[in-house]
Amino acid sequence: MGKSVLLADDDQLLASLLNFRLKKGGYVVHHSANGKEVKEYLKNKMPDIIVSDIMMPYCSGIELIDYVRNELKSKTPIIIISSAGNEQNVLTAFELGANDFITKPVSPTELLVRIAREISK
Amino acid sequence: MIPPNQIKISLITAPEFNLEYLWWLTILFFVLSVIYFVGVFIIRNKITSNNSRTKNKKVEFSPMINEFLFYEDSNTKEEKMNYLNLKVQIRELIKNNFDRDVLTEVLLDLRKDLSGQSQTVLIDLYKDLGLHHNAYEKLGSRKWQVVSSGILELTTMEVDESYGLLIKFINHKQSTIRKQAEIAVVNLKEEGIKYFLDNTKFKIAEWQQLKLLDVLRHKPNYSPPQFGLWLTSTNIHVVLFSLRLIKYYSQNDAEQSIITLLKHKNRDIQAEAIECIKDFHFVNALKTLKLVYSKASHDIKIAILDAIGELGTKAEISFLENLHLTERNFNIKSKVIGTLNKIDPERVLPTKNISKPDFYDVICDDALQEEDLSIIDNHEDIILEDKNADVSTEVDVETTTTEDITVISPTVEENVALNDIEEATVEELIQKDETALDVDEIKKVKSLEDIDLSFLPHIKDEEALEEIKENETVVDSEQVQELEEEEQEVLKEEEELTFSFLPYVVEEDVIQQVTTSYKDDDFQPLFELDDESMEDTQEQSSINPLNNISTNINNGLDWSTLNSEKIEQNKVDINTADSAEPLISFENDNISFTANFMPQEELDAMVLLENISELGDCRELILLYQIIEENSSEVVIERANELIQKFSYQSPRPNELFSDDNDLAESVFTDIYNLADYETKLMLIGEIKKVGDEKEIDLLNNVIQTESKTLVKKATEALAHIKSQLAVVTDHSIIASDEDSIFNVGFELEFNRPTEHKRSVSNENGSTLFDQLCSMSNSLYRKKNG
Repeated sequence: MGKSVLLADDDQLLASLLNFRLKKGGYVVHHSANGKEVKEYLKNKMPDIIVSDIMMPYCSGIELIDYVRNELKSKTPIIIISSAGNEQNVLTAFELGANDFITKPVSPTELLVRIAREISK
Repeated sequence: MIPPNQIKISLITAPEFNLEYLWWLTILFFVLSVIYFVGVFIIRNKITSNNSRTKNKKVEFSPMINEFLFYEDSNTKEEKMNYLNLKVQIRELIKNNFDRDVLTEVLLDLRKDLSGQSQTVLIDLYKDLGLHHNAYEKLGSRKWQVVSSGILELTTMEVDESYGLLIKFINHKQSTIRKQAEIAVVNLKEEGIKYFLDNTKFKIAEWQQLKLLDVLRHKPNYSPPQFGLWLTSTNIHVVLFSLRLIKYYSQNDAEQSIITLLKHKNRDIQAEAIECIKDFHFVNALKTLKLVYSKASHDIKIAILDAIGELGTKAEISFLENLHLTERNFNIKSKVIGTLNKIDPERVLPTKNISKPDFYDVICDDALQEEDLSIIDNHEDIILEDKNADVSTEVDVETTTTEDITVISPTVEENVALNDIEEATVEELIQKDETALDVDEIKKVKSLEDIDLSFLPHIKDEEALEEIKENETVVDSEQVQELEEEEQEVLKEEEELTFSFLPYVVEEDVIQQVTTSYKDDDFQPLFELDDESMEDTQEQSSINPLNNISTNINNGLDWSTLNSEKIEQNKVDINTADSAEPLISFENDNISFTANFMPQEELDAMVLLENISELGDCRELILLYQIIEENSSEVVIERANELIQKFSYQSPRPNELFSDDNDLAESVFTDIYNLADYETKLMLIGEIKKVGDEKEIDLLNNVIQTESKTLVKKATEALAHIKSQLAVVTDHSIIASDEDSIFNVGFELEFNRPTEHKRSVSNENGSTLFDQLCSMSNSLYRKKNG
């Protein structure tokens, strides 16, 4: 059984595409469209890696990192997807404990490589 | 029974309106409202269902697109079969316009979010499915927004084949289409920028230039053309954009063209050319830079100076020093100094607000005198320059007066020792009038006798007084002691003479002038008062002119009361524009003051008049006439006449009040009655009967003469009632006026004979205010008691 990935993104089209690619890459993917769903999921199960967009309804990617690191005390790798030029958010994400980031437009292949690298760490 | 639609409500004078129409209009409005709300509901539902349908379609297309995007040749046979099936399926789907639009939308969305190999596959899929043909159709639309979206779609999906179709839009009259086409042309093919720069006829906005540059920057493996080729374009925006591109891509092969553009009429192009020259270090441009400087705008001048600072050598110092002397704009002058220091560090040293070393030395008497003279000269020269506009213009004012330079004329060097206040005054004067000053002429004016001192103002403020005190420290210690002793004596004697009732308002310049001009020889009486009792004081106070002025100021001397006679006797020419009565005389370095005080009687009369002015009213008219008769002083008579005029205007004469022309004589019911209908008229007459007075008599008489029987009857009753009421009221009032002395005001309102008063009551043309008040109080009394 492949490694589990939690994909948190409110953009349905992109999420569907990444989901498809990750599944094709051998990962077990769970998709959540907003921060609230992500938190609910994380209470029950901790995936091997979290891939999250920064801008999400109810709970942003930054809040999600803070939740995972400080409340759940988990060291699960987190990869952030951010828009280009959103440098401050990326820096904040790293300060809070994000492991890596990737900017939009996303290359699904590149994301796959980054996920594999983070999991292997 | 009157039908409801025929009942007239005429309390207000609105035009009659058919109620039937009103009903129809109500129904129409209601129907329109229903249509509007139903329309909004339908449209909203349609949009919602459309969105929902689109969303569902997107979900349906999404896995198909994923399959297409991530299809690999290494896939299994089943996957390949699945891929082929999907391809057939999607081709069927896009036959439907809606599906095709949704699929295009999905691909355009994904294009923004994907990069790398997936993006290439996506674009290929778009073309493979033939969706770009839809975009071509959009280009032919009459709607500019459709055309624009078609161009955007083709640009986003990088349909190179559309280049030929899009180039014709770069000169489209619709700016949105034009701008979209410009980006498309530059984006789609490498030669697009050349075509665009060659052919565009319209303005290229700053924002558009940035967008185009951004497109070029992100083009992979882009080799820019030589943008210097477009510096000769007739479109100035193309020239400007080319200059920016030249600067961005560091193309320094168009040196001569760029230098030539320094002479361009457009300031933006000039500024951009200067930037290029600076960046590429075109030293050959220095000559042209200096050439165009004289006729350039302020911004360009500063840019040129900046460029000279970057490129220039010590050969440019003479040019800059010349500018330093001639340039008047503060910013440019500062830039010139900055440039001078940049080329030759520390060439110009700070001198602003910096005193000369000898300023801190013990000042000897001789030095003091010289310095004072120089100060006087300088001040007077500057003010002379301010007054006389036709002074020749050999030397610039700023070069002779401002202290922030090292190249200063001898006269100005003396001024460096001046305190800050003097400097500020000089600068202010210069800024007000930037005319040049003839130094030679200034040097000729050396003594006080040669100077026209008529410009000396008459007033001085408190700040200047403080400055005087500060300046006193310049005098040597012996003098200071003597002066202090004398001052104390003067103060003791002047305590007996109090001028505190007079305001003291003194202008800064007078004190400054006196302060800077005193010396040993100058310690002569400055002014003398006419009053003999002040002669002793004068002798004491005139020892020190400075103390003299300051003590008099402190005592509140009103210079405006000083007389000019004494000055005329001394034959002093004081030419102030606004002072018809010169108060100060200057002769043989002496300054004299002359003052005449009012006689006591006149003063008393004036005080009385001022009190009347403040507290009095028309009752003081008799007294005012009396004052005029008793006094011969013109001032008093004039003032009294002013007050008479004032009070006469304030109080309406009783005769006027009781005249027929007065508005009080007219009934307030008249207008309403004339506009009212029958029922209202009846009601109004009833009201008149209750509250009316003699003003309504006219109206009632008129009603009796013109109206129908019922109204006449009512009006007659009301008239009889009012008349009976008025008779009672006047009787009471007469008795009251006789008994009570309070009402005996002594003016024209007199009711000595009852017969006369009755006649006034029956007077059809008017009434009195008194009658009106009586009738009002009467009606109120009756209302209160039922």
